[in-house]
Order: sequence, then C-alpha cells, then structure tokens
Amino acid sequence: MEAAVTTLLNALTLIGILSLVGLGLTISFGLMNVTNLAHGEFLTVGAYAVYFTQSFGGSYWLGLVTAPLAAAIVGCALEWLILRHLYEKPIAAILATWGASLVIQQSLELVFGLGGKPVLPPVQGALDLSVAAYPAYRILLICIAAIALGLVLVLVRRTSFGLDIRTVIQNRTMAEAVGINTRRVYAIAFAFGAGVAGLAGALVSPLTTVLPQMGVGYLANAFFVVIVGGAGSVAGLIAGSTFIGGLTSVLNYQMSPSLVQAIVLLVAILIVRVRPNGLLSTAGALR
Amino acid sequence: MKHRGRLVALAAGTCVLSIYPAFADEYHLTVLRDALLFGLFAVSLDFFWGSTGILSFGHATFFGLGGYVMTLVTMTSGLPAPSVLGLFAAVGAPAALAAIVGYFLLFGGVRGSFFTIVTLALSVIAQQLVISWSSVTGGDTGLLGVPPLALGGYEISGAMATYIVVAVTLIVVLLALRALEQSRWGKILIAIGDNEVRAAALGHNAPARLTLTFVISAAVAGFAGGLYVAIAGVVAPDLIGLLLSTEVIVWVAIGGRGTLLGPVVGAVLVQRAQQEISSMNPSLWPLILGCTFVIIVFVAPDGVMSIAERSRMLLRRRSA
Repeated sequence: MEAAVTTLLNALTLIGILSLVGLGLTISFGLMNVTNLAHGEFLTVGAYAVYFTQSFGGSYWLGLVTAPLAAAIVGCALEWLILRHLYEKPIAAILATWGASLVIQQSLELVFGLGGKPVLPPVQGALDLSVAAYPAYRILLICIAAIALGLVLVLVRRTSFGLDIRTVIQNRTMAEAVGINTRRVYAIAFAFGAGVAGLAGALVSPLTTVLPQMGVGYLANAFFVVIVGGAGSVAGLIAGSTFIGGLTSVLNYQMSPSLVQAIVLLVAILIVRVRPNGLLSTAGALR
Repeated sequence: MKHRGRLVALAAGTCVLSIYPAFADEYHLTVLRDALLFGLFAVSLDFFWGSTGILSFGHATFFGLGGYVMTLVTMTSGLPAPSVLGLFAAVGAPAALAAIVGYFLLFGGVRGSFFTIVTLALSVIAQQLVISWSSVTGGDTGLLGVPPLALGGYEISGAMATYIVVAVTLIVVLLALRALEQSRWGKILIAIGDNEVRAAALGHNAPARLTLTFVISAAVAGFAGGLYVAIAGVVAPDLIGLLLSTEVIVWVAIGGRGTLLGPVVGAVLVQRAQQEISSMNPSLWPLILGCTFVIIVFVAPDGVMSIAERSRMLLRRRSA
C-alpha cells in the first residue's frame, strides 16, 4: 500500500513535469511544424533563473516568477533570430535549433561556471499522508503543475488567442484567409511554450542539481510524450505524459534508470508503429 | 558533367592520399588516418541522408555498436580469425538494429522530423545503456587493449600499414556506394524522396527501399566503428553518444550532402579545426560547433563545396 502510494505520487510528479515541458514541443510541432531541439534549454534557463534569484537572496517564489519570464525571453529571441526564417525548411530548423541549444548550454557554463548548482526548496520535510510519508515539496510541485495545466487548458479553449491557435493548427491557409496573423500567433505561442518549460525547470530545480546539460534528458522524454500522445493536442499531451511518466515510475521501482529509458523508448516505437498519429489519434485541433 | 567532375575529384583525392605518406611524419599520418575513419562514418550517413532526404540524428549508435561488438568479439579468446569474425559482427549487429528500427518506423509511415527525433533518442539511450552496463562495456572509461587487426597470422599495426588499410577501404567503399547511387536503385530513391506517393503508385515499395538503404548505411557505419576501435585500441562511450551523432551531421553538412566525397573532406577539415580550437580552450569547441550549425543553415545549406559550384555557375553565366 505504502509502495503503491509512493509510486503513484512519483508518477504524478513526473507526469506534471513532462506535461509542462511537452506543451512547448506540442505547440512548435503541431502549430508550426518545427522540431525545436533547443526546447530542453528553456527548462535549463528556468532552473538557472531560480538559482540566480536565490544567489541574490531572493526567495524561491520570486524565482518561480522570474523563471518563466527568462525562458520566454530566450524563446522570443530564438524565434525572432532563427526560427522565423526556417518555417519552410524542417531539416534546417532541426540543425539550427540544435546549434542554438549547444550555444545556450556553453553560454550558461561560461557565465555561471562549471559544476552543479544547488537550489533550496521553499518547504522542507515530509508530509504524513497516513498511509505513507511523502516529501512536502513534491506534493507542492504536483499542485502547481496541475494548476498551470488547468490554466493552459482554459487559455486554449476559452480565450480568443486559444481560438486563433486552434484555427491555425486545423488549417493554416484558411486561418490566414480569415485574417489571422499566423506569424504573430507563432511568435506568441512559441514564447508561451518556452515560458511554460521554464516554469517546469523552476519546479524541478530543487529536486536535482542545476547543470547546463540538464535539459537534454528532459528533451528526449518530452519528445516521446509528444510522439506517443500525438502533436498539437492538449489531451494528447496529457495522455502521452501519463503513459510515459506512469510507465517510467512503475519500472523505476524495479530496475535501473537507463534500462527503464531503453524500455520506454522501445514501447514508444511500438506505439508509433501501431498508431502513427498518437494514442488519441483523431488528429487535428488542440482540444 | 557534374558526375564527371566528382569522379575527377575522387581521382584527385586518391592521388593526395597516396602521396601524403611521403611527406608526413608518423604522427600526422595517424591523425589523417583517424580523420579518414570518421570520414568513412560520415559517408555512411550521407548515403542515407543524401539519397533519401531523411535525417538520422543518431547515427553514432551504429558506429559505436560496431565498435563495441568488434571489441567484445576480438577480446574473446579462442576464436579462429577474430578480426574477420569481429568485422562481420560489427557490420551485422548495426545492420540488424537498423532493420528493426527501420521496420517499425519506415514501414509505420514515420518520416521527416519524427524519424529524426526517434533516432536521436536511440543515440541518447544507447549511450546510457553502455555507461550503465559496465560489467560488459567497461562503463564510463570504456575498454582498453582492443587487439589490432590480424589477417592469417599477420598483425596489421603501425602507422603506415593501418593508414593504407584505411585509405584503401575508404576508396573502395566510396566507389561501391557511388555505383549504387548511380544505378537504377539510386534513381528510384531520388524518385521516392521527391514524391513518395507517386513512386509508390509506379509500383515501387518505398518503405522496403528506404529500410534497405538505412540498413546499408548502418552496416557501413558499423564497419567504420569496428575498424576504428581495432586501430585505436580503445572503445569508449563517446563513440556511441549524441555528440558524435551531431558532429557527423556537421561533417556531412559542411562537405555537402549527397556528394559522398564531400563528407570525407568535411570530416578531415572540421576535425583539424577542432584540434586547433580545443588546444586553445577545450570549452570553446561546443560553442563554435553550435554556431557552425546555425551558420551552415543560413549561409551554405548545400554544404561548403556548393559555394564553389555556385560561384562557378555564376562565372559561366557571366562569360556566356
């Protein structure tokens, strides 16, 4: 019972993080048809933002606010400098964003120096849940991630900007014909996805050491999420995260992490073979 | 016209490679030899990427797998002709892996970006597996003392002998792949790359052709990996990792995708630059590598060699 609850909460932590990281990827994949290999760096930038804030005596909560802003600014710069020129050239975009990711990693290393940086969590200790004790910070993380995802859903489904995004994903040409400025939608949606990844970075920062290369591991997993769930849909994103996060957490309980990674990849490839458009493959709009 | 130009370039390259030992000392000979081995690896990527337009972002998986398999076979005592068996395994294992991956992805209709991402993940995971499975692979440090190549009791070691083996192998592989690209096979691949639906409507089994091309490419990469570890004497996780996977893309992109010879030139030049830069400041290289990626995309999308070709066309147009 205790093990089951712990595994469930571990899974929820991972699912929350993966959903937040995957959101930006599913936007750039589904909306812009661009594969952004620098997406992991938005998470890294977010984590460094928290470290930077704390090193000046700021609280974790201040860091949690600055992280998405910092990542969104980097995202804006990336879109404006590189990506907007490459929307029609998918392979060129892959190469250029990979280059940008190396540049961001090395710049972070040059500015902040070698080695991992510590980030202090806002709450310490464990919470007694009667069946099992679980770190209080992780429970907080699950709550923040759930709230953030809820807000994203409201944004996509209830606001006029969300309507613009869904329109562009369904039919780009028609969206332009009815007067939606697709370039502007791309830029804002991309920066938004980057900011949410930055938030994810701020959330994971107290759980690990903050390193320039920390984004790469999350990038690979977030791509599985989008591939398994299907690009361009929030429902698919959550389904994909639940699948990848759940499988990883359950397997992690039994075997070594790298073997788990290999198995998760294999299962993801199998799913791609059976359902090329993702688990919830009715394809199309952000739902 | 263009094809004759490339044949002339190959002949010129062969001349340079055969004259070089007369002028170079032993150290420079081994440097060029290692660069040529990575050039062979770059050729394998170009054969798939260049002729199908699908980018594999995890090609080092096959190079590294060939290296590790070669190591494990040749270090097993009591086998007859371990080098030959090792090279067969170094070709066979990556080919089998590519066949499995190709079956699931290419037959599943996965193309373009999705294929690139899954192969990227393949490379990340291969490296993790190699590092964590330390009882077999030696973990982070890898394995030292891989036996040198041996044929019928003769050991091929020393700078000159290994250089000759590598140079001859490279030229033979280049000629073979070139012949394949110019045959009917290559033309069908171009048709598939241009418009897969139309090629399929004409009766070509596109997934099967693409998968077989991927398998050949992986086999060449594994062969290069097997040769590399036998000549270098060590195998380590960076031979299978993501960084090498991306570096080989730079070599091909700089040399010119779809030219086969260009990637060899790209590999030699970029590795030379890498050594110069790393000797000044080791953390500078990834930064420059990153910038190179971005610059290539904007300045020379068809490779550095294409700049020469383009300027020649410009000159011709002006003189006409």
